Formats: sequence, C-alpha cells, structure tokens
Amino acid sequence: MNPDTLALASVVAPLVGFFLGLVVFRKHHAVAMGVVLMSGAVSLVSTALLLFGGPAEPHVVGARWFTIGDVAIDFGLLLDGRTRIMGAVVALITMCIQVYSLGYMKHDPGRGRFFAFLALFEWAMLTFVFAANLLQTFIFWELVGLASFFLIGFWYQKPSAVAAAKKAFLMTRIGDVGLFVGLIFLFQSTGTLDIQSIGAIFDPEGLPPAIAPDRIEWIAALLFIGVIGKSAQFPLHTWLPDAMEGPTPVSALLHSATMVAAGVFLVARFHGLFLDAPTTAQIMLAVATFTALLASTMAMVAKDMKRVLAFSSISQLGFMLIGLAAGSLFAGFFHLTTHAFFKALLFLCAGAYIHHYGTNDMIAMGRAGARSMRITTIGLVVGGAALAGIPPLAGFFSKEQILGALHGPGATVFKVAALAAAFLTAYYSFRMIFLLTRPNDASAAEPDEPAYAQHAGDSGHGSDDHGDAEPWVFRFPILLLVVGSVGAGFLGDRIGALLGIEHIHHPTFVEMAPAIAVALAGVVLAWLEFGRSGARQAGFVSRMPALRTFFERRWYIDEIYERVFVRAAVAIAKLCYGTERDGFDAGADMVADGTARVGATVARGHNGRLQWYVGGAIVVTAALAFYLGRLS
Amino acid sequence: MLTAGLVMIVAIAAAIFAATTRNIVHAIFALAISLGAIALAFLILKSPFVAAMEVLIYIGGISVAMVFAVMLSSVGKSAPSEGMTRRLGAGFAAIAFFAGVAAVLIGADLDGLPVPETSAEAWSVQQIGRDLLDRFNVVFELLSVVLLLAILGAVTIASRNDGHDEASSGNAGAGLGARMPDEMRPGDSAASVNPASPASAAPSASDASRSEEARA
Amino acid sequence: MMLTGWLLFSLALFSIGLYAVLARRNLIAILIGIELMLNGASVNFLAFNAYLSKDPAVGQIAVLFVIGLAAAEAAIALSIILAVYRSRNAIDVAGLDELKG
Repeated sequence: MNPDTLALASVVAPLVGFFLGLVVFRKHHAVAMGVVLMSGAVSLVSTALLLFGGPAEPHVVGARWFTIGDVAIDFGLLLDGRTRIMGAVVALITMCIQVYSLGYMKHDPGRGRFFAFLALFEWAMLTFVFAANLLQTFIFWELVGLASFFLIGFWYQKPSAVAAAKKAFLMTRIGDVGLFVGLIFLFQSTGTLDIQSIGAIFDPEGLPPAIAPDRIEWIAALLFIGVIGKSAQFPLHTWLPDAMEGPTPVSALLHSATMVAAGVFLVARFHGLFLDAPTTAQIMLAVATFTALLASTMAMVAKDMKRVLAFSSISQLGFMLIGLAAGSLFAGFFHLTTHAFFKALLFLCAGAYIHHYGTNDMIAMGRAGARSMRITTIGLVVGGAALAGIPPLAGFFSKEQILGALHGPGATVFKVAALAAAFLTAYYSFRMIFLLTRPNDASAAEPDEPAYAQHAGDSGHGSDDHGDAEPWVFRFPILLLVVGSVGAGFLGDRIGALLGIEHIHHPTFVEMAPAIAVALAGVVLAWLEFGRSGARQAGFVSRMPALRTFFERRWYIDEIYERVFVRAAVAIAKLCYGTERDGFDAGADMVADGTARVGATVARGHNGRLQWYVGGAIVVTAALAFYLGRLS
Repeated sequence: MLTAGLVMIVAIAAAIFAATTRNIVHAIFALAISLGAIALAFLILKSPFVAAMEVLIYIGGISVAMVFAVMLSSVGKSAPSEGMTRRLGAGFAAIAFFAGVAAVLIGADLDGLPVPETSAEAWSVQQIGRDLLDRFNVVFELLSVVLLLAILGAVTIASRNDGHDEASSGNAGAGLGARMPDEMRPGDSAASVNPASPASAAPSASDASRSEEARA
Repeated sequence: MMLTGWLLFSLALFSIGLYAVLARRNLIAILIGIELMLNGASVNFLAFNAYLSKDPAVGQIAVLFVIGLAAAEAAIALSIILAVYRSRNAIDVAGLDELKG
C-alpha cells in the first residue's frame, strides 16, 4: 500500500477512536472499547506495514499548515528509520495494553472513558513520533503529557491519584519550559522548523559553520531540560513513582513506549545536535549515570512491585540517555526499543498479580502463592531477566551496546558507575522475582500490606470473576511480549539498518564479559539473599539501617522538594494572598467605604427641604460671585 | 428725590411686613402695597409702560390669584409658625447677602459714570412695541409659548383628580369645619378622615359635588 | 448717588424676598418671597436702564419678560400649592421631604 495512506491511517485511526469513544459512545462501554481496539489495530497494521515495507529514503507526508513571512510551517508525518521503528513499537505496545485492559478494566464504571484516553495517548504519541516539524513536536509533546495526566488521574475519586496526576503534570511542565525556550532558540539559529532541515544542518560530521558553538550548547541544554522532565531524570524524576497511582495498564503504557520514551526519543531525534554540543553531552552523561544509580538504589529496598518497576524505568531511561550521550544513537535507540517490550511485560505481569491479590506488596503476594499464576510468572521471569541483562534476552544486547559505547578518555568513571547500576539492576530484578516466586518460612521480610483472600484489584472497584486469575486477555499480551522480550535483542542489525548506521559493532565475548559478570553477580547475590531455601530475604542494605532508610525514603529528595520548593511556593502564595487581602483588597475596601461614608454624609444634606437647597444655591452663588469679583 | 425716597421706604416696609407676618392674607395685601410702590418707582425711573404692566399683572393678576388660592385652600391662618433658629438663620443669610452685595455696589462707585444722551423717542412706548416685535421677536414668541404651557400645566395640575385626591378633597372639606391642628403631617390625613363631617363647607362647588357623588 | 440708591433699594427687596424664601414654611409665603426677589431684579434692570443705557427700550423689555415669566411661574406655583394642599391637607414645606436622599 501507499506509505502516505498508511502513515495517515496510523495517526488518524486513534484520533477517530478517541473522538468516538469519548464523545459518542462514552456511556456505551462495549462500543467504545470496540472502537478503540479497532483503531489500535488499524494503527498497528499500518505502522507494521510501514516498518517492513516503508520507503527507503526519508519521506514526508504532509500539507502546508500556515506561513509566517518566509517561514512555512508544515503539518506532516516524517517517515524515516527512527520514526518507523518507534511508531511500530508504540502501536504494538499500545495494542497489547488495550487488549490487556479489556480484562483489567472489565468492571470499572469508567472503562469507556479509559479506552478513549488510551486512544488519545496513542494518537498523541504517534503524531509526536512522526512529527515533521518542531511546532508539531512541541504540540504533541504536550498532548502526551496531557493524556498521561488524564490517565494517571483516571480514578479521580482517589485523592492520591489526583495529586499524582497534578505532580506529573507540573514536574514535566518545568521541563517543558526549557524545551520550549530551546525550540525557540533552535528556530532562531536555524531559521527553520523542519526536522529534516535541522537534521541536515547538525547531522554531518563537525560543527555546523553557521551557528556559534556556545549557542548549540545552550540549545542542547535547554532541550535536555525538557527531556529531564519528560523522561524522569534527576532532579525531576519524582513524579514517575507517584504516577503509579494510575491503573496498572497506564503505568505499563507510560513507562514503556509513550510518555517517558518521548524524552529519549527527542534526544534520538536531535542526536546530531546533541553530538555537536560536547559539554552538554557530558552533563547529560553525568545526569543520566547518576539517575541510573540513584533509581537502582531506590528499587533495591522498595516492597511495592509497581514502585520497583517505576524506579527501574527511571534507571533504564538513564541507561538509554547514557548511550545517546556517549555518542551512540544505535545503543540508546536499541535500548529504548527492547526496554519497551520487557517493561510493558513486567507491568502487565504486575497488574495481573495486583489484580488477583489486591495488594502491591511483593512479599505478601509471594506468600499468597503468586507462582501459581503460571503464564504471569513466566512473563515475570523473562521480563525480569531481560531487565537484568541476562543473555540472550533483549535487555542484554541493548545494555551491552550502551556499555560498549562508553569508551575513550574520561569515560572510565561513567563506565564503572554504569556497571554498578547494571549490577544493581540485576540484583533488584531478581530480588523481585525471588520475593514473588520463592517465599520461605525463614523469611524475615515483613509485608507492608497484606494480600486479600478475595482480591479486589488495585482499583478498589472489585472484580467478580474470581474463577480465572489469568483470563486470555491477560495471557495473550503477556505471551506476545515474552516473545518480544526474547526476540527483540536479535533485531539489532535490522534496527541499525533502519537507523542508517552502516556498521554495528558486534562485541566479542571478552568485551561482553564485564556486563555478563556484573549481571550474574547481581543474580547470585539476589539468590543468596532472597532465593535460596532459608534465605532471610533481607538485602545487604538492611545491615546498614541508616542507608536503607535513606534509600527507602528515596534519598529524601521528595522531602527536600517539599521543604524547599513547595514551602517557598506556599510562602510566596501566602505573601501574595496577604498583600492582596490586606493591601489591595483592604485599600479598595477603604476607598469604597470612604466613598460610602462621604455619600452618607452628603446624603444627610439631601433632606428634601426646598429651602435648604435654595440656601445652598445662594451660598454657592455668592461664593462664586465673590470669587469672580476678586478676579476682576 | 423726596418722592423716590418715600416710595422706597413704603415698598421696603411693606415687603418686610409681607415677608414676616404670620397671617398669609395680610402678607398678600402687604405684597400688593409693596408692588404698588415698586410700580411708582418704575414711573420715577421713566418707564410708565412697565409700571402699568406691573400694576396690571402683579397687583391685578398674581396677587389676586394668591388671594384666591388662600381662600380656596383656607390655609391663610393655619400656616405653622417658624422656629426662632430658622428665622435667625435665614435672617443672617439675607443680611449677609445684603451686606456683601451692598459693599460691592458702594465700592463700585457707579454714580460717577456719565449718563448717555438719549432722545425722547427712545423712551416712547412705540419704541418698546417696535423692539418687542422686531429685535426680540423670537424671545417674545417663546414667552408666549411658555405662558401657554404654564396655563395648560396649571389647569392640569390643579384639576388632577384620582382616588387619593377624592379622599383628600373630602377631607379638605372636613378640615374647614374641624380646624385641623397646626402640626398636621402628611399621612395623618388619611387616618383622620371623618366621614361624618358635613361637606357643606367644601371649598368649591365642584369639589363638593364630587364629594357627594363619592358618597352616593 | 441716585443710581446706587436705586440699586441698594433693589438689593433690599431681593434680600427680603430671600429671607422669606428661606425662613417661611408656608408655600404661599415662599411664593411671595419669590415675587419680591423678581421685583428686586426688575428694579435693578430699570435703574441701570434709566441711568446708564443708550437704548432704554431694551431694559424695559427685559422687565416685561420678567413680569411675563413671573405670571407663568405664579400660575404654576399656585396650582401646585393647591394640588399639594388637596393631597395632604397642608402646605407646610417642612413636610414636603419625600425626595430626600
């Protein structure tokens, strides 16, 4: 089929699904869900056909939107390697999650709305990915944020969900300001908003001659601020763990292919620009490495399964940015793709457990017999191993590429830190697996929240099909993603080819050895502490209670923000309120009261007595005459 | 000179009496005397036609109309007395006004100004008539319209007659016989309506007949 | 001397009228005061007309207009007084304060 038609279909279908689902069929849940599923299927087929049979050369489908002076703004879909891969991944993951949501949200009273928002999310993300134009990029970047706001706060009766949605929106908004300013600078420097033209300026080797290097640094730094917000990097990462308040399918979508992936995709999109800004790239590398380590330490001690996964997302996003900042577009993009599979898989498994046991606590779920859910447990093991980077699963290859990209002078410290983060990743992944699958009587671990015999689902809305813990709508997406998590690692060459990278470095075994070694070391440590019979199931961090508390409280970053920014904002707000109330308002009141009092006084003179008025008139006339007589 | 002084003294004395006496009929007669003296003053000021008009309109028209009004409303002696504060305040205002303007007048020294020569013809009544219909024609016509409107308005206001008026006019008839208290306040009138009072002393035939119609 | 005398005379009439307007509570007495003030103004006109005017007809015509307007004003005022009297059975201005602020 014509690629233009396919591209348009892939983008328009979710929009139609969203519109029909939210506006027309909101009260008819079955119809809305069907429409959204069909639109998702259309997108999936279109993007898949584009991926496998798309145009060889970059190609734009679009139309002139408007023209300001010499600048023409197009609204279009850019088809090149990056967008085709990402579009297909987005459509596939979204499709899986939509099917999964059929079961997960089966009894939610707002499921029609939920599916409509999923379609909105897919539309926003796909159009963002395919955007041919910076303005379009920004618009859909914001729409992605909006859709995630809707979905995180989907259970709007839950105050914590509303607070989490607000937090996500505001934190990403801080980054968006940076992005917007960066885009303005970029436009000012290049004079175009067209992504291909910008790519043509920055992609060739060496610095572009027309733009000052300082300016490129600034642009890259500002864009990176946007990425920090969107992809939850330090110091704006705190919204992502809270975003767990949304339904689990939303978390799966948010963490794998859409919201947080948007930030990484932006860096991949403008990779040439970031490479031309070496200082910013260095900062980016430092921030990403630090974030990867930071989030890993938090994941080590969390008991809430979704939180472990959330911290692992932050950490893995850090890995992707390490790869990109180290100069390897392929490494970062590859990890983005594989991560989408195994992270979606892990979240779907977590959702299945949570749905069945009515708790988020891994220890409680493990004791309640989580391993009896066969398919889900297979998914958990495969996904966790992929996350840990155990060969030959997807995560191993991509992470190995990232570690391989870290070479050259000055990279050693980052490489060590990244290896440490990889070690911790393996450790907490298998800690999660063992806690869920190998409970034992000697365990010293205490669940925070017990599992319910009659599971209620994390929605609290309950489900009445207690018979089947793993309906086919759960099994099918999980199994599909298991296949993806296993197989995606072998698609490296195809992805590299699509990205236009001629030669992909295939590491030798010696080069791979450190990565394998740290992953296995993490697994072994997890086995000793959590997996083997009679393990106390207390991590090595527990020996240092201060450190453990430090990690559990997430390095006190939320508290610091609370103390510094929130209190400052509240203080400023109080000051403004006080000024408003005691200053402007009171002043206005004073003027009004004064006017009223003067009026009341004057009104007493209006006593309705004719002669009083005549006397007044005479006095005024006399005074006027006297004044005029004095003048003359 | 002497005549002029006499005329002034008569006019001012009558005016003061008119302004201060409590009996309103006496006041109107004093006003008429004062107006007559003023007409004489006009004569002395070489304006016989204006003096004639003064006598005709003021004394013959307005004063008589006032007497009629007093007789019709029968309030000639029922007017409330004014308080001392009020009289002192008004007197002070009037005297201050007089003193202030008089000071300006005397200070202006108008007597030194030359009197222009004028022909006898300029003073004639013919000249007044000519100017009235020539130079001041528009004002003249406007004045005639004003007078017409005043007549219409006076007729309308005086003859307005609705339910409230009906009760009041009946009450007014009663008031004559009953000698209502001086400190009568509006609003009390309705409460003090006495239907048993004879309407025979109603101020006018029409009012009386209307009252009787109302009763029938 | 004579012009100033006539002007003082007119001023005295005006002031007496002013006193009546301000002091009296009877509507007819107030009307009398107004007539006195108007006459004071008329005397003023004729005094200037007699001593300083080159065109003496003008002053006389002005006074004629004043007299005409006074007639109209008196007619209206008297009819209002009658209406007030009929509606509230008194012509005391102290009671006529419904329009106070």
